[in-house]
Amino acid sequence: MVELLSPLRAVFEWVGALENSIALRESIYAWALVLTTHVIFLCSFAGLITMMDLRLLGIGHMGTPFSQLQRWLFPWQMATLAGSSITGLVLVFSDPMRFYVSIFFWVKMATMALAAVNAMAFHFIAYERIAEWDTSPVPPLGARLAGGLGMLLWANIIVNGRLIPYNWFL
Amino acid sequence: MLLPYFEWVNNLPVSRAIGESALIYPVVQSIHLVFLALLVGGIFMVDLRLMGTSLTSLPLAKVARDARPWVIWGLVGMLVTGIPQLMQNATREYHSEFFWFKMQLLPVALIYHFTLRHRITMAAEGRVPPILSKLAGVVSIALWTSIAVSSRFIGLFT
Repeated sequence: MVELLSPLRAVFEWVGALENSIALRESIYAWALVLTTHVIFLCSFAGLITMMDLRLLGIGHMGTPFSQLQRWLFPWQMATLAGSSITGLVLVFSDPMRFYVSIFFWVKMATMALAAVNAMAFHFIAYERIAEWDTSPVPPLGARLAGGLGMLLWANIIVNGRLIPYNWFL
Repeated sequence: MLLPYFEWVNNLPVSRAIGESALIYPVVQSIHLVFLALLVGGIFMVDLRLMGTSLTSLPLAKVARDARPWVIWGLVGMLVTGIPQLMQNATREYHSEFFWFKMQLLPVALIYHFTLRHRITMAAEGRVPPILSKLAGVVSIALWTSIAVSSRFIGLFT
């Protein structure tokens, strides 16, 4: 793990030495406000994704066809994803080494990559045949799998994010 | 006035056991946030629908009714994971302004959610003036966001 990441260490150290990075790190209020905004955006995003996932699993929002529900949720999912990504980048920018040394941070990043793969797989497999199951009470296996995985992955991302301040594995 | 009770809770053997474990508190905090996601997911999607009355064919009452069990599960999960956090930190939280702010806003938000907002979401489409339903959505988002902000501040500023 450590060897795998070591080429990145120089980049993280370089960013951490930038004037703006130091200024942000030393400002108590800026850091706290960006962190709080990040938590709220991330939980809102994960929540809006979870609502879609519950529909994919066939256990929630069954009164609405999937396509209709998701057409409504999608722009808000994108808006909250943008909000959490921007605030997340600012947090890493302001204190890169804090994140570099945290196993939870890297697990969070890896889990996000898996969640993206899961979303793409859903888009190109189950969603291709949406017309066949849009109003069906039991979505196809591919859709249920994507929904279940999505919920698990995003719960994991929240948990790992919250655990970043704890350095149990150092 | 309430301080002796907070101190009593704080010094209960269970509370101290939570405090002494390196694992319990962080894990409970994390799960608390997972339930927050479930809660605000179910609430905000309906609020956003309330705010965008002219934009969509999504049936408001149906979406609100389907969101309800998940909102309630979110609340139950947050309560179950919130109590041990309060127990472990009772004395510290007693002295936090943000804790009291949260505890005052929470009943307001809950009453609003299950009374006024509930009636607005369940009303027949077209019976609620758009300005009122927009306001209902804004108020809900503002209340729950303020609660989340003050909660995060308890840990950051005490």
